[in-house]
Amino acid sequence: MTHATDPRSGAVISVRNLTKRFGKVTAVNNVDFDVIPNTITGLLGRNGAGKTTIMQVLTGQEFATSGDVRVFGEAPAENARVLSRISFIKESQRYPDDFQPKHVFESAPWFFENWDADFAAELVKEFRLPLDRRIKKLSRGQLSAVGVIVGLASRAPLTFFDEPYLGLDAVARQLFYDRLLEDYAEHPRTVVLSTHLIDEVSQLLEHVLVIDQGSIIVDEPAEALRGSATTVVGMRGAVESFVEGREILSREGIGGLASVTVGKLSAADRREAAAAGLELSPVSLQQLIVRRTNVTEKEFEIQS
Amino acid sequence: MTTASSTRQAQQGKRSTAPQPGQIQAGNPHPMNRIWKAARLNLINKWTVYWIPLMILGFIWVINMIIWWIISASVTGSDRQDALDGTQWSGASFYIFVYMLVIGVQAMNMTFGYALGLSLTRREFYLGSTLAFLLLSVSYGVILTVLSYVEEWTNGWGFGGHMFTSIYFGSGEVWQRLFIFTVAMMFFAFVGTVSGTVYMRWRTNGLLVASAISILLIVGAVALITLTQSWHLVGEWFVAVGPHGVVTWMLVPTALSALAGYFILSRATPRG
Repeated sequence: MTHATDPRSGAVISVRNLTKRFGKVTAVNNVDFDVIPNTITGLLGRNGAGKTTIMQVLTGQEFATSGDVRVFGEAPAENARVLSRISFIKESQRYPDDFQPKHVFESAPWFFENWDADFAAELVKEFRLPLDRRIKKLSRGQLSAVGVIVGLASRAPLTFFDEPYLGLDAVARQLFYDRLLEDYAEHPRTVVLSTHLIDEVSQLLEHVLVIDQGSIIVDEPAEALRGSATTVVGMRGAVESFVEGREILSREGIGGLASVTVGKLSAADRREAAAAGLELSPVSLQQLIVRRTNVTEKEFEIQS
Repeated sequence: MTTASSTRQAQQGKRSTAPQPGQIQAGNPHPMNRIWKAARLNLINKWTVYWIPLMILGFIWVINMIIWWIISASVTGSDRQDALDGTQWSGASFYIFVYMLVIGVQAMNMTFGYALGLSLTRREFYLGSTLAFLLLSVSYGVILTVLSYVEEWTNGWGFGGHMFTSIYFGSGEVWQRLFIFTVAMMFFAFVGTVSGTVYMRWRTNGLLVASAISILLIVGAVALITLTQSWHLVGEWFVAVGPHGVVTWMLVPTALSALAGYFILSRATPRG
């Protein structure tokens, strides 16, 4: 991770040497990264890796222990000029006890100048959200829908979604991805999405940040990351001779067949593989990240 | 995900590569506007801030009416006068002040987290909440003052009873009544507020320490007064300054609570 010491000009978010400690626990450890405008960045990692803490510092909800954090070129903490351009939707968002969703959709527009009331009304219908039920009485999925609708309809220049869809079913999650992409295409803005459902969102992401135990371990464009490994499948002998001398990430086999995941392949490598009658298939983003964070895939999924 | 990818292709064509200045620059919000919106955030549910407390007040009034009716129906002569005079020690409307305290606690406890979720600063939220509590206190001051006059004009609701003209509020000039009711409401609102901020900042331990300190201060004061045998002075002071004077002095702890709340909340973080 090499970065210039100056915040990159043109970045919406620029973080240098950020550390956040809670008592003796170091949640975020000397982290550097930038987010460029009008991209969708995935902030990925295991539970407790520090994703939420980073987003809370970026949105002024937590105070950094040390380091330099710039959002829209300024420090975000207690800074209305920065915060007025941010929408932060988090799984743990609390609402006043006496609130109903209609109170949320009445008050949220006061604070987001780009709020689109028609879009919000349409989303309420699509997520089948009851407007005049106490928020305390909503199901987990309906509660998540409240946040997702605020996050989308606020159209803030910088929008954070922190695990926004706990309890939403597959249909509702797909609805969220579709609406996010459509609206993002029409109204470009910067989105940071934290999730553990990596494969579901991998098509959305343009840039990937992976955090593990408080440190950034991956900071790459999604496209580069996807091409950084390939699985080679074919007859054992052919596969073995092809992968010899290459970086091998994992290896499986049944009978005379073998399946080996190797690092980046060049165009010439791909032609050679095709000539040898081998099949090449891309490795999913989730598998790649799981490999880099040194956990089994099963362990990763269980965390949800 | 085919639809998603095709949408992506479409929008990538549309997007310009160089960031426009507006996309990386901070905004220019109007501070007063945001503080006013923060105030409205506390008042958005009219049921919570007006209708429910007023309905409970109405219910207490009905119960009092029944009691006054029982007294006037079962007791006669000077005994009846004695009993109804006794109702000027009524604490029937005290509940509304406690309700105000709860509103202060809840604002810091729950509305605070929601306000930060809407990207308000702590400062904007606290100043807005302060404004909301002042408005609420004044509006309740007006309501209670009007009720105290109605009580007088109807000769204690027809039974000679007292609920809004009790001894604690006095029966002075209109501005005196308004002042007493409003300041008493403010006192409870900001005591609730400061308690709520202590919890937000230091959680349960903070509340325990704050309670311990308050109890020590009260016990210390009681000890001091008792050992110097000056309880009669305290009593004389209350009589001398009257309800109006007592309430004026309440402005001091009210203002201190409001100020302390501001500084305590300025470094507090809402956690789920």
